[in-house]
Amino acid sequence: MELADRAVGFLLSFISLSIFTYYTFWVIILPFVDDDHFVHKYFLPQEYAILIPVSAGVALICLLCIFIGFVMLKSKKKKA
Amino acid sequence: MKHIVKILSLVIAITALWVGLLQTSIIPQSHTWLLPIYFVVSLGCYGLLMVGVGLMNFPTCPQEALLLQKDIVEAKEYLKQRGVDVSTS
Repeated sequence: MELADRAVGFLLSFISLSIFTYYTFWVIILPFVDDDHFVHKYFLPQEYAILIPVSAGVALICLLCIFIGFVMLKSKKKKA
Repeated sequence: MKHIVKILSLVIAITALWVGLLQTSIIPQSHTWLLPIYFVVSLGCYGLLMVGVGLMNFPTCPQEALLLQKDIVEAKEYLKQRGVDVSTS
């Protein structure tokens, strides 16, 4: 079973490192690159660099609130 | 209460640093506007990385697992002799 654990851990760290390098490249390095370099093909337009994390954060908070409300309703129904 | 004050003062210090950076343009302005989001994303990434690294280095102790199984069998025999029901359910 430790092999499965190690595989999941490796996958998680790989995903996190790739997200970090992609985002760093997007936000910090790309504004300094000329506009007709081929690298711009691999990155979405810069507005998405703000949109995607903010929408993900808002979705996370919404899911959290829904979950808390669900648990509160269920506990109240059980008591009554 | 003291904990909240500590966290609030940290947030205010970071906000003041960010506004100061915006005013004095040490870094180009377009970069400074994106700095908070960048730090939040990198903090989330760092947490995920720590979880992954911890998972990879998790110790399993196979000898202790065997000893534990032996202990469980012993305890079951002992309790069955004394008449306690230890069936697995």
